[in-house]
Amino acid sequence: MFRTIKLIVLKSDDNRMKTLIVRALGSVALAVLGAGPLLAQPAVTASAPPAEEAATPDGSSAEETAQSEQSPPPTVRASQVRRDDTGSSSQTGPISGYMDFHLNKPENEDPLLDFHRFVLLFNHGFTDRLRFIGELELEHALVEGLEESGELELEQAYLDFRLKPALNLRAGMLLTPVGIINERHEPPSFYGVERPFVDTFIVPTTWFDAGAGIYGTFGGSWQYRAYLMAPLDATKITADEGLAEARQKGFLSNVRNVAATGRLEYVGYPGLTLGASFWSGETSFNFPREDSSVGLIEFDGRYHKGALGIRGEYAHVFIDGADAINDLLQRSSGINPNIAEQMRGFYVEPSVRPLPGLKYDLGAFLRYENFDTQFRMPSGVLPLKQFDRSAWVVGASYYPDPDVVLKIDYSVTRNRSTLFGSLDSLNVGLGWWF
Amino acid sequence: MPRPVRIRRRWFAWAALLVALAAPQGSSQDRRVVRVLAERFAFSPSQVKVKRGTVVEFKVRSDDTSHGFHIVGSNGSVIVPKRGRGEATLIFEADTAGTYTFECSKLCGAGHSFMRGSIIVEE
Repeated sequence: MFRTIKLIVLKSDDNRMKTLIVRALGSVALAVLGAGPLLAQPAVTASAPPAEEAATPDGSSAEETAQSEQSPPPTVRASQVRRDDTGSSSQTGPISGYMDFHLNKPENEDPLLDFHRFVLLFNHGFTDRLRFIGELELEHALVEGLEESGELELEQAYLDFRLKPALNLRAGMLLTPVGIINERHEPPSFYGVERPFVDTFIVPTTWFDAGAGIYGTFGGSWQYRAYLMAPLDATKITADEGLAEARQKGFLSNVRNVAATGRLEYVGYPGLTLGASFWSGETSFNFPREDSSVGLIEFDGRYHKGALGIRGEYAHVFIDGADAINDLLQRSSGINPNIAEQMRGFYVEPSVRPLPGLKYDLGAFLRYENFDTQFRMPSGVLPLKQFDRSAWVVGASYYPDPDVVLKIDYSVTRNRSTLFGSLDSLNVGLGWWF
Repeated sequence: MPRPVRIRRRWFAWAALLVALAAPQGSSQDRRVVRVLAERFAFSPSQVKVKRGTVVEFKVRSDDTSHGFHIVGSNGSVIVPKRGRGEATLIFEADTAGTYTFECSKLCGAGHSFMRGSIIVEE
């Protein structure tokens, strides 16, 4: 266009015409220059949605995407940080939760559909330093008062009194700080449709009860929890399911003797978490003339770097007075529960996320587990070999969103008995967190 | 001919003075970028040490779900987007010595309350 105008001006013989054209062009140029800064301002219209509510192209809310590059990041000045609760206000957080939906197909049996877990979490901050967190769980979708029909459980309901990073107080219904899974059990956070066998039979996840204690961090790389909690009930320990039924679950929990439990974690190296846990408590409140106690030690580790990850856990249970419990229960019920003096289990689970940079993530894993709920029996009693079990679990997880996971695995279980077989199973699960 | 050279030198001296005066006043503060990874249920690193006078630019990204990054006792808080969706930035001006706590401010699971860390501002 400019070339055409130039040709018209140069070829025109009329000087007046030339002057007019040049003046007109000058006026236009002046108008453009004057209006430029105004046109450069962002347009603000009444119909424009607020930044917080604007949706991103993939449908997620702006809250969940990176901060807008145009808005400056918030700035906090150390001299203006409140050192007490003055100025902090009471605030209830949004409800969140997770769900776990399974299809289990044991070998030679009909497949089962199970809405395994429906969990809602609540939180409220009375002040910056006084917080409440609660977790209510419905297991197996239906509650009729018996385990076979499902359970409605109050797994967490505690108050945090935050004093300083190294020392804080906690009281209420607490998760026992033992193992990897018990405090970290949202479906997208572990591989496999079902939780590891060791975290079912040896560490009875989800293990929770009433209690109080302290927790904190120190040295920049260490975290700890130390609680006093309601003890286990020795009369409910079984050879098949280990400690699972011995939890009192905060239901009129007997605390004639309280149990002590704690966990120490090292988190000082990127991608690495090393943990050690213990539990120790008297268990004989239902037969006070006998002394019985349960002790548990546990070690675990998790590490991931790039596409590769590995985790492992070892747990060992010691039951003092197992022979006395067996005698008492045989006399009262006619059945000897064959409670062991020691149980133990371990697993190791390498995994790979071959496409870690993608939003739609994929992971694959292989897990070997070995667990024995009759590892050492009271003197004079032989262990039953069907309780000395092992399992290979292989599977994959697909994450269409970091909070949604589709899982599939195949589990091969074996025991050392020549009389009792084991069932392999194909499992498919859908889990989500919000 | 030495006169023009003297005039040119004087002119350069004035120009240098003007440039020095026009320099940003905040340039005496150290600025440091700290990249933090958030994942259930920890921040890495969970302890950050800086000298008083440092301006710390926290760039926080998540390896799993959406988290919050909040300096306790302040209104400074940002939402950390889910894995693969970018990062959140919060600036902390360490103008007073002491220990300050940061925490996850968005409920992210059963271990949410363990997600805490500290900023140690040294003299």
